Amino acid sequence: MEIEFQRVGKKYESGHDALSQVSFHLRQGEMAFLTGHSGAGKSTLMKLIMMIERQTTGQILVDGVDLRTLGKHAIPYHRRRVGVVFQNHQLLFDRSVFHNVALPLQVSGADDDQTGKRVRAALDKVGLLGKEKLNPMALSGGEQQRIGIARAVVNKPQLLLADEPTGNLDPRLSSEIMNLFQEFNRVGVTVLVASHDLALVARMRHRVLTLNQGRMVNDGGFA
Amino acid sequence: MARPPQPPPRPAQRGATRQSQNGPKKPAWRTQGFDFKLYLRQHQAFLVESFTRLIGHPLASIMTIMVIAISLSLPGGLFVLLKNVQSVTDQWEQQSIISLYLFPNLEDTEALSLSHQLASRADVASVEYISKEEGLRYFEQSSGYEQIMSTLPENPLPIVLKVIPKAIVDLNTLPELQGLRDQLQGLPQVEHAQLDAEWLQRLATMISFGQRFVYAISALLVIAVLLIVGNTIRMAVESRRDEVLVMKLVGATNSYIRRPFLYMGFWFGVLGGLCACLCILLLSWWVSSPAARLIELYHAGFELQSFNAVEIILCLTISAMIGVIGSWVAVSRHIRDIELQ
Ligand SMILES: Nc1ncnc2c1ncn2[C@@H]1O[C@H](COP(=O)(O)OP(=O)(O)OP(=O)(O)O)[C@@H](O)[C@H]1O
Ligand SMILES: [Mg+2]
Repeated sequence: MEIEFQRVGKKYESGHDALSQVSFHLRQGEMAFLTGHSGAGKSTLMKLIMMIERQTTGQILVDGVDLRTLGKHAIPYHRRRVGVVFQNHQLLFDRSVFHNVALPLQVSGADDDQTGKRVRAALDKVGLLGKEKLNPMALSGGEQQRIGIARAVVNKPQLLLADEPTGNLDPRLSSEIMNLFQEFNRVGVTVLVASHDLALVARMRHRVLTLNQGRMVNDGGFA
Repeated sequence: MARPPQPPPRPAQRGATRQSQNGPKKPAWRTQGFDFKLYLRQHQAFLVESFTRLIGHPLASIMTIMVIAISLSLPGGLFVLLKNVQSVTDQWEQQSIISLYLFPNLEDTEALSLSHQLASRADVASVEYISKEEGLRYFEQSSGYEQIMSTLPENPLPIVLKVIPKAIVDLNTLPELQGLRDQLQGLPQVEHAQLDAEWLQRLATMISFGQRFVYAISALLVIAVLLIVGNTIRMAVESRRDEVLVMKLVGATNSYIRRPFLYMGFWFGVLGGLCACLCILLLSWWVSSPAARLIELYHAGFELQSFNAVEIILCLTISAMIGVIGSWVAVSRHIRDIELQ
């Protein structure tokens, strides 16, 4: 999937300009990191792509489609094409790992056979195939994070967004997670990862977008 | 089986209407067709799932169901009571009499010809002619006013025609008989026409009063049940807020999120209605023997009526609809208001 921001601005109702004049173009199959200080606007940028928030100025094109032309009823269908790992929307602890990962498939109406296959394939990719019957509560932080990633990719999205996916993981687990994203990128998924961990980002050798006070201050080389 | 009043959005059609709007390019990814089988399968799954959730919180569910049942059995019970009163009066087959008191100055011959004229009417079975003398005799015999009567210089009683209409008097024929009475009252020879069915008229007014009372109570309690279901479902949504948010994040439509809650409302309605029916059946069984004894004093061969099959089905349908509507009202806005941040 292809994403293009053209002088995008976002002013929250509080009057705070979270993003201003942000322009960049993420090509089909590309992988990039989004960095910046706390409050720089990383999460806001991802929410705009997910249509959780709407931009106040500028244009966002997803595969050439201007998001402003999509009405409220189109939002769910837009979201089904994007896999997300957001920290504040974690797993549901009232159901098994399997049913957590299956949620995006149920929502879009996949049948049981297909659901079973896809869920196991996704769990296999994150290396947790044996744990599908467990409650996510019984898993470690890193394992839970990987379940979240399995949920994000189970629908075979063309775009993967991850907001601080390594937030409170140790360095070894963090680079494991990053490698996972890299693998998805290798099979053609466009990937955008927001992260504070500059050292890790530098090691990954991908394009880096840096925000500062809501403005894009660096696009390209490694941080 | 009650279904939500509106089908959920059909992806293909919605997509099609959106695509026709402006924009640099059409989103090609929203053109999958509407799959009816899938739709049915999802509904079936929700039906089962929402029921298991209900059982998952047995105490709260039972309380809600009992409140609904009690609220519905009151109007239901009154309805049965009313039905029985009506059926008692329907079985109380009686001939009614319209007494025509003619003007005192009317000649006997004129009165006789009127009596013949009336007897030949299609809606009249027979006419009994009671002359002044017969009236006096009858009066003396029955009232014990002999002495007073004999002191009077002249017979004060008018000629009376007892008209017996063909129609048997009951609540259905009462208006017809009253019409006949009014017609006869209008005759020039008739001073006063009296339909001897006052008790029935009173009963009719009481029943129509009772009906209105039942309607008003029913309306109030239906509203109460709507609120109860709405409130219960609202709490259910609130307790599953995280789930609603995650579902929105992974692309669930509002109607998809709403469906299990509508089914929950459906179950509350159906189960509440079922309990109400049971209450009413039990109650009618409980009062049946004293009621039968009471009725036997007046009339033999009367059977106490309770809810019949049609009424049970009607009651269940209505309660299921109340459940779905109540949860619909509560849930629609609420789910829209739960927004990702
Ligand atoms: N819903 C909101 N209403 C008002 N202001 C908001 C809202 N969400 C975010 N902001 C503000 O917008 C700015 C950017 O927030 P954002 O969450 O995008 O930053 P971030 O780069 O993700 O930060 P962090 O690294 O701490 O997650 C912040 O100053 C924040 O206070
Ligand atoms: Mg953030």
